[in-house]
Amino acid sequence: MSAKPTSAPSARYLNASSAVARYGMGVLITAIYVFLLAPVVIIVFTSFNPTESNTFPPTGFSLRWYGAFLESSSFIEAFKFSVWLGAIAAVGATTIGFLSSYAIVRFLGRRREAGQSLALLPVMIPHILISISLLLALTIVPFPELGGLIVGHVIICLPFTIAGITASLEGVDEQLELAAMTLGASRLRTLWEVVIPLIAPGLLSALIFAFIVSFGDVYIALFLSGPGRTTLPIEIFSYMQWESTPVVAAITTVQIMLIVTLGLVVERLVGLRKIMRV
Amino acid sequence: MRAGGGLFAAALFTPITVVYLVFLLAPIGFFLMMSVFRYSPMELWQPAFTADNFVRLLSEEHYRVIIFRTLEIAALTTVFSLMLGFPLAYFLARTGSIWRGVLMFLVIAPLMTGVIVRTYGWIVLLGSEGTVNVVLMWLGVIDEPVKILETQVAVLVALVHILMPYMVFPLFSSLASQDPDVERAAATLGAGRWRIFFEVTLPLSRAGILMGSALVFTLTAGAVVTPALLGGSKVQMLGQTIYDLVLSTLNWPFASAVAFVLVFCQFSIIFLYLKGGRRRVG
Repeated sequence: MSAKPTSAPSARYLNASSAVARYGMGVLITAIYVFLLAPVVIIVFTSFNPTESNTFPPTGFSLRWYGAFLESSSFIEAFKFSVWLGAIAAVGATTIGFLSSYAIVRFLGRRREAGQSLALLPVMIPHILISISLLLALTIVPFPELGGLIVGHVIICLPFTIAGITASLEGVDEQLELAAMTLGASRLRTLWEVVIPLIAPGLLSALIFAFIVSFGDVYIALFLSGPGRTTLPIEIFSYMQWESTPVVAAITTVQIMLIVTLGLVVERLVGLRKIMRV
Repeated sequence: MRAGGGLFAAALFTPITVVYLVFLLAPIGFFLMMSVFRYSPMELWQPAFTADNFVRLLSEEHYRVIIFRTLEIAALTTVFSLMLGFPLAYFLARTGSIWRGVLMFLVIAPLMTGVIVRTYGWIVLLGSEGTVNVVLMWLGVIDEPVKILETQVAVLVALVHILMPYMVFPLFSSLASQDPDVERAAATLGAGRWRIFFEVTLPLSRAGILMGSALVFTLTAGAVVTPALLGGSKVQMLGQTIYDLVLSTLNWPFASAVAFVLVFCQFSIIFLYLKGGRRRVG
């Protein structure tokens, strides 16, 4: 971007064109951000709309749709179930992710890159394929469908917990673990008393981020949810196929607030970029 | 650390191996194998080899249209994501702004809210009384609301919005790892802004472009919820077709054949990605 012209004759031309380019770039970047954020911002505005239709700009301010959300038992049940499922999937994905990440960082040596790529496999597979295959397997193997849903969520969360935890483990000096073992600690005790305390923020971030992934998922639950185990996104999806009132806006605004707050916590702890691998 | 750790390492890897083999690879393998099985209205599927599913998929006009529409939407989504994602990634990688962390967060934040939230946002924006129509009428571009929902345009716009972050991240990594001095050197040697971009920056970002495109293309091809809500029955794509086949007709073998097309596309893309990456090194 910042071209440093050294040849005098073209300097003035370059400066003028660089001002135009900078201005154009600014407009373009602003437009892209408007595009990225508009659908999310519009939902928040719509949720306070007093009228039935999804009009914008809003014609007034009302908490009517939040009331409708709290009175709808099916949405409340789905919300509770999503929180419950997200918590279980987060604990599962963080535990399995921690064990695998530690093995990847400490034991794979030169094959580490390959191991990490394999661990991140579920990102590269369309989630619809994962869930449809699990559903088919469950029609043959006697395994509870709720178990299938939980495992499906653990699978889609694992790449993110592994990316976050391996990044945290890179900051841990191996000498500390060797010292603990020299002093007679077993490998398990070293993990528990040395490694885990050192990467606690990374583990907490992995937990929260896995919860976020599970909470937002619609594709795994699309095939594996059912009576008594309907997640919030699925409840919204089936509701929207018939009607679309701002009650959905109220629910999704609650969801957005929850997710953004949790995201900010992760950002403070280890940085979202490490988990998203950017 | 590695000495005597073999058993311990194996133990650490056991849970993930079991989860991936038993609950990911085995079910997917079985589901895809289903594509050469025969459909039976009574038992749903019979383990008898047949090519009927693929023959039907390629011979019936209805499915050919869906396949080509899916490929078209996936390709367009990838191109538009790249066109919007590249300037954004470039800006984020090169800016010295103190707001960079915040700006980065604003790209990740919509992604975290989930597919359903963002799809709903587009329903509100693109509806007949939605913001886009209101603004266009206010500007005098149109006299009465135009129908945007239930068109391919609505699906495309929303998919670009939903999947663009997947393009931005690999691009950002690629661009951020480039030494800015390389661009400065090109400028010192007299290359203009465009020439620097096309002959230095763009070729160096190749890995990121391929990675991002592969991700966006595959994720678009597998989309179900966004086309179903924004496109209705008029913009049916492969993902929805699989969904309907499984949930309404329980025709697993044919659904599997449709899914096979999806997987085939993905493998072609990954193959191109690896080939492109290798050429870059060699």
